[in-house]
Amino acid sequence: MGLFDMFKGPAKDPEAAAAEQRRQADIMMSLRGGRVPTSTMERLQGAAAGRLPWMATLSPAELMIARSHGLKPIAAVSATSWLHYGWSWTEGHAQGWETALQRLAQEARACGANAVLDVKMRTIPVQVEESMDFSLVGTAVRVEGLPASSDPIIATVPALEFVKLLEADVVPTGIAIGAHYEWLTDWRGTAEGMSWYNNESWELSNLWETVRQRAHAQLRQSAMKRGNGVLAHINFSQMFARERDVNDVKLKEYLARHIVIATTVDARRGTPLPHEIKMVVDMHAGKTPLTGTTRHHQSYATNEQDGAI
Amino acid sequence: MTLNLPVHAQERLKGLRSSVHSSGVFTSDFSVNEFLLVRKAGFEPIGLCVGTCVYHVGIQYGSWSKNQEMDVLSKAMYHARELAMTRMRAEATAMGADGIVGVKLTIKRLEWDEHLLEFIAIGTGVVHGEGHKGFRAHDGGPFTSDLSGQDFWSLLHAGYRPVEMVMGSCVYHVAHRGVLSGFGTVGRNVELENFTAAMYEAREIAVERMQVEAAAAKAEGVVGVDIHEGSHGWQTHVIEFFAIGTAVLPLEQEIAPEKIADPIMVLSVND
Repeated sequence: MGLFDMFKGPAKDPEAAAAEQRRQADIMMSLRGGRVPTSTMERLQGAAAGRLPWMATLSPAELMIARSHGLKPIAAVSATSWLHYGWSWTEGHAQGWETALQRLAQEARACGANAVLDVKMRTIPVQVEESMDFSLVGTAVRVEGLPASSDPIIATVPALEFVKLLEADVVPTGIAIGAHYEWLTDWRGTAEGMSWYNNESWELSNLWETVRQRAHAQLRQSAMKRGNGVLAHINFSQMFARERDVNDVKLKEYLARHIVIATTVDARRGTPLPHEIKMVVDMHAGKTPLTGTTRHHQSYATNEQDGAI
Repeated sequence: MTLNLPVHAQERLKGLRSSVHSSGVFTSDFSVNEFLLVRKAGFEPIGLCVGTCVYHVGIQYGSWSKNQEMDVLSKAMYHARELAMTRMRAEATAMGADGIVGVKLTIKRLEWDEHLLEFIAIGTGVVHGEGHKGFRAHDGGPFTSDLSGQDFWSLLHAGYRPVEMVMGSCVYHVAHRGVLSGFGTVGRNVELENFTAAMYEAREIAVERMQVEAAAAKAEGVVGVDIHEGSHGWQTHVIEFFAIGTAVLPLEQEIAPEKIADPIMVLSVND
């Protein structure tokens, strides 16, 4: 059974099968043309006009926060780009997320939203031929009293954080990606600094510094499209070593790659959070810096796995 | 409730882009809460600072029956961390930061060579919103601290400011017991005094080194001290003791203890 066969189910009558084919073709053509697929469009516009029920990925507590701040959920929106890394695994990530972001913004525009919040980045855990899917899911919302936006913002933060940021004049606007990789060939065989003594492997240090700095420079570039800052990095880095024969000489090569993904914000300096901050001690047994940050005992760790009696 | 948002935020929600920002793009690994609290404390993040060091650790064997510091390994661990931290701080200086908040120091073993260790120091460079330079370290450079944004806010409201992230390390070889020494103690509980003594000495060396660093930074105290033990793939009896914390000084205008608000007690009924 192929990967997609599981979605097919039992055989359908010819009419339904033809309808399904038309729908598949429409999805394909719409995405190619940079449009929202027709069936999705109908659903989103129906929800925007109130003909269909609204949908939100928010929990009831989050819905409360959203409502108290004048946010009205319209529809759950989503976007995917399944990308094959023909050229570069590292830099494919930037392309994949960027495409998904643009598609998500289109869906938000289609339902007349001002923003999409609670945007989550998803990837299906299947390995298919050097490829990966870049999916985004979130809730499109309308802000009471504001007209629909031609350029809806994409916020990768939950509802509570979204409104806290807005009150401090910080608008979360999307995702920025910085990715860079570089090969180092150790021509002189000295990169690892093998000896009995302590010494820095400065060639490898230097490789890391270069790759990280380039990735971060790219992150800034990528952020500039949507705002003036980024928060909440995810850093992902790997280094590999391999040996290669060049004219009967064994050469060691190193690959270092680094990906940074972050939430972009458009922040005005000097607007502090308008709320007073009070210290609260939660008497519930949970994690708090008031009991320090390290565990208070690790001598008897074995009972932690046991269940209740 | 009607939404009472700042004008700029409203404009952006309508789809209007603000004009180009003069201040450039900042980068930071802060969470939303950390970001808001650091701003509330009067600071603005300006950029992520990273320092990396790949280090080839030399080889040293402890003698079988002797408690001793493995000075080659101690120096390696210390030197490599120092290099990573210095590079991170140099990045912060270059971007004009007054300090670095939330420094994370990690060690990774490179999988193809047991002697190669990778040290990474990473944190967010911040500036004081009103250009106050009084928060810098004693040498005029940026302060460093491993405190989170939340801890940073709390520290300032406790009347202190961070000066320098200080650390001390000691890699120690704990002596093996003689082959026959077990026989004499069969059926009795006996303290293995030389093991105890080894722990004492190694821990003491690490803590002392941290304290010397704090004194050199002209600090009054060290907050958030963590003393932990670790092994980075050495022989079984070789242990690293590592002490780390943030050296602090009282604020220029010290907050009187009675002015510090008592926290409110709540009991959350979540599971």
